[in-house]
Amino acid sequence: MKVRTIKYIFNEGVKNVYKNRLMSLASISTITASLIIFGIFYLIIANINHNIMKLKEQPEMQVFCNPELDDMGVKLVQNALIRNSNIAEVTMVTKEEAFEKIKEMLDEDADLLEGLDSSFLPVSFIIKLKDIANSGEVVKELKKINGVDKVTYPQKTMEIISKFTNWIHVISIVLTAILLIISVFIISNTIKLTVFARRKEISIMKYIGATNWFIRWPFIVEGILIGFIGAAVSFVISGFFYNRIENRFTQELIQAGTDIITLLKFNEINLPMLVMFMFLGCTVGAFGSIISIRRYLKV
Amino acid sequence: MIEFIKVKKVYPNDVVALNNINVKINKGEFVFLVGQSGSGKSTFLKLILKEEDPTEGTIFVNGYEVSAMKRRDIPYLRRSIGVVFQDFRLLPDKTVYENVAFAMRITEALPKEIRRQVPMALGLVGLSRKANVFPNQLSGGEQQRVAVARAIVNNPSILIADEPTGNLDPETSWEIMKLLVDINNRGTTVVVATHEKSIVDSLKKRVICLDRGTIIRDQQKGTYENEGTHNKIYI
Ligand SMILES: Nc1ncnc2c1ncn2[C@@H]1O[C@H](COP(=O)(O)OP(=O)(O)O)[C@@H](O)[C@H]1O
Ligand SMILES: [Mg+2]
Repeated sequence: MKVRTIKYIFNEGVKNVYKNRLMSLASISTITASLIIFGIFYLIIANINHNIMKLKEQPEMQVFCNPELDDMGVKLVQNALIRNSNIAEVTMVTKEEAFEKIKEMLDEDADLLEGLDSSFLPVSFIIKLKDIANSGEVVKELKKINGVDKVTYPQKTMEIISKFTNWIHVISIVLTAILLIISVFIISNTIKLTVFARRKEISIMKYIGATNWFIRWPFIVEGILIGFIGAAVSFVISGFFYNRIENRFTQELIQAGTDIITLLKFNEINLPMLVMFMFLGCTVGAFGSIISIRRYLKV
Repeated sequence: MIEFIKVKKVYPNDVVALNNINVKINKGEFVFLVGQSGSGKSTFLKLILKEEDPTEGTIFVNGYEVSAMKRRDIPYLRRSIGVVFQDFRLLPDKTVYENVAFAMRITEALPKEIRRQVPMALGLVGLSRKANVFPNQLSGGEQQRVAVARAIVNNPSILIADEPTGNLDPETSWEIMKLLVDINNRGTTVVVATHEKSIVDSLKKRVICLDRGTIIRDQQKGTYENEGTHNKIYI
């Protein structure tokens, strides 16, 4: 294709978006609505994933030995842990380290510990699992080891979150797919109206020897442009509201003094989101066009 | 060169529009296609353009077997055939110049070529001074001239016209027909379907007469009606 043809195609496409501005507006709104819903899912999933990652980095599981267990016993427990194939990392917390931690935690009230030493505290191991999905089994195994007193683990939460995320993934993919298909049809219908209005022009073009692609491209450009604008609008709207929600939420978390859950800043995810919006918007627009002109090319 | 060999066209509704058509039109000829409404004239022209495919038989246009041509090659066939219709079929939101230039743009012609060819075609049809006017500001005859200019701007070897004067008054009809003869004199094969009895009779060109889908007469220097049936009135 020659440069002047590309120029012609682009000019025609842009002109048509403007000429049919009411129809274009309807299509843009459809794409915008779909992409905003897609964006909501995307942001929810991104935040869940982000928090799961964070949880994964935190000590997931802590194995406490009997406080009376001697060094030999502790060594045996440690070996058993290292040998376990589900465990990725084992870090020992000695009695002294545990004592220091408590002191730190008590801060000004550290004098409560006066007269005590580390001997009453148990040795423990912080464990990272290879896959949190197995945590239930691992806990059972670890409890059977001689000298292990108790095992603490955020097991249920982890499992629930991980299942929950899977479901959200599935639901959001299905819903987004449905929404996008609906958008394709709505757009193809609006573009069909513009094609219908120009069916004479199309048939003239066919009579004077225009190729199908030459006829199709301006409409595809029109569809892509509509998709592009829809993507831009929905991106701005999503970003604006996400920022507000994120600010509000973060403030409340700070007030509540917890950092178990944090929300991603919009600028941490806006690039992949923009790329995805643009890709989906333009694809949906292009497909809508291609579908709508098919019928009129058979002269 | 156009050749129909044993061509039959049956429409999906079982109407036999053409039957056993054998005809050869040589390069540079001027042919009138006459016959009553519904006799198959438009179908004949549509087969040349591959707007329709024959049910049976073979069609050659410019050496290509049109009846066996692939769909994606149709545009290139049509670029070698100029077409003019009764209803002009101009693009209303393009100027006269742009309407004619458009036929070149779709072939990705060089801008230099377009700037050379379009004024030449407009000059030939006598519309140089109306280049920047829109079709709805022109009379019917002028609009048809624009259509003719568009049809010839790519220098086609064949020009097809389906009742080009059907919407025009007699005087304007004569002007358009004379224009088609001019174009023929420059070497282009011209095939015109028409009901213009007086024009056909006085121009003395080849006349092919269709009746209910078959050729009942094919005469060099022919007339609109069969000699000897002068009194019989056709539509
Ligand atoms: N697309 C079509 N579908 C069905 N029948 C058609 C179609 N086009 C033409 N016909 C029929 O074929 C016959 C020939 O039509 P046409 O070629 O248009 O004749 P003419 O141009 O001489 O008036 C007519 O009976 C007409 O009704
Ligand atoms: Mg006809």
